[in-house]
Amino acid sequence: MNEPAGGAPTPRIVDEAIAWAVRVLYAAPDAQTRGAFERWLAADPRHGLAWRRVRGMADEFRGLPAGLAHDTLRTREALRQRRRKVAGGLGAALAAAGLSGWLACEYAPWQRLVADASTATGERRTLRLDDGSLVTLNTDSAISSRLSAQERRIDLLRGEIFVETGPDAGAPGRRPFVVATPQGRLQALGTRFVVRLDNGRTRVAVREGAVALQPDGGPTSVAGAGQEWSMDGAASRPAAPAGFEPAGWLDGVIVARKMPLADFLAELDRYRHGFLAADPRVAAQPVSGVYQLGDIDATLRFLARAQGLSLRYRTRYWITVAPGTA
Amino acid sequence: MDKSAVEADTHALYRDHHGWLLGWLRRKLDGADVASDLAQDTFVRVLRRGHARRMPALREPRAYLTRIAQGLLVDHWRRSDLEQAWLQTLAALPEQHAPSPETRQIVLEALVRIDAALDTLKPAARSAFLMAQIDGLSCPQIAARLGVSLATAERYLAAGLRRCYALRFHE
Repeated sequence: MNEPAGGAPTPRIVDEAIAWAVRVLYAAPDAQTRGAFERWLAADPRHGLAWRRVRGMADEFRGLPAGLAHDTLRTREALRQRRRKVAGGLGAALAAAGLSGWLACEYAPWQRLVADASTATGERRTLRLDDGSLVTLNTDSAISSRLSAQERRIDLLRGEIFVETGPDAGAPGRRPFVVATPQGRLQALGTRFVVRLDNGRTRVAVREGAVALQPDGGPTSVAGAGQEWSMDGAASRPAAPAGFEPAGWLDGVIVARKMPLADFLAELDRYRHGFLAADPRVAAQPVSGVYQLGDIDATLRFLARAQGLSLRYRTRYWITVAPGTA
Repeated sequence: MDKSAVEADTHALYRDHHGWLLGWLRRKLDGADVASDLAQDTFVRVLRRGHARRMPALREPRAYLTRIAQGLLVDHWRRSDLEQAWLQTLAALPEQHAPSPETRQIVLEALVRIDAALDTLKPAARSAFLMAQIDGLSCPQIAARLGVSLATAERYLAAGLRRCYALRFHE
């Protein structure tokens, strides 16, 4: 390590550099803040060294592929858990099962790197496209969009979106609006709808207007307002009700109707880093009501109180919902 | 204590206890090649510490060596867990999306650092740190997400950065 004259930064200088990093690198600083920062930086050569080190760390972390990084930290947690269990003579099968489950379902995090727009776990974001359409991305979702002379097209790469098609005012003729998924194409017929990628299928819930479903290898069907449809690569058909309101997330809630606890937790799990599981003894217990998505840990505590359940924290990421401590 | 005296002491320590330390490490680890690397690293640390401050009292050299070696072992296990987790994550990716070997190494190093910093943070600060470093959220976004004040979110993030800095620059 090359040190300039004056030596290593003192702890106080390092603290100052970190305080500046928090305000300058992890926020949008105003002109006044930027000016104050520049003056601090110029005031002492040791400030410069401390700053380069802190910024270097921040830069290094910034380039991380988010999905892969989360998956790795989660998997590592499971590995550590498994080793503890083996060491303690307890069943390792559970941890191993959980692990392979993650690997199977968390399959495409790399998609986030190639997307035009994406959200992190727990995040929700609305984008306005050039044609006036609005697209809202739910948690952990990714899209790319292409507006060509022939069509307006969104590729849903991961997760779930809500689409409100715009008037397409700038174009001479009305271009079709299409959402492409791995299973096929959805053409909007003047409309508002939710599209979700779910276990190798595309789920569509139409709020207004209608959507034409065109599976890659099958006939076209039309889903009308208020309907939920499911599409695989070969066919589409009306879907069994999911047990919750498909557009609830737009208001930041899950509206559950007699949803089995295991399904309810699988849904909550999408909004939180880590792994949520139901104890088999309570997995089928029905859950109804309106639950907030903003703070999942608080929602879990509320759920436990309301339903007479208990929360077991296995690791910082891993929570099992079990029968109450009666 | 001058430089040559530190080196002479370290040399004596090495001569008298290297074989014993290697045996100790081999019992902790299954692989002999890793054990000899860690034994070597232990003496490098002894040498560096001796230069930085006074050589510690050598009345109980084996306790002193195992304390240093224990720290290296923990780091080694942490790293190999993370490496295995990273390889499993990569194995689950479609081939065309696999990152280059160089990128893999860079990401792994960054994850090792983040993971080490996380260990000492309180849960809320951990969440804040992950949101900032991995998800790329800003401090105001983190404050909103966690339902805390901006000042608190800034404090959490600063705690994580300070820990990273300490791990990285003060050995």
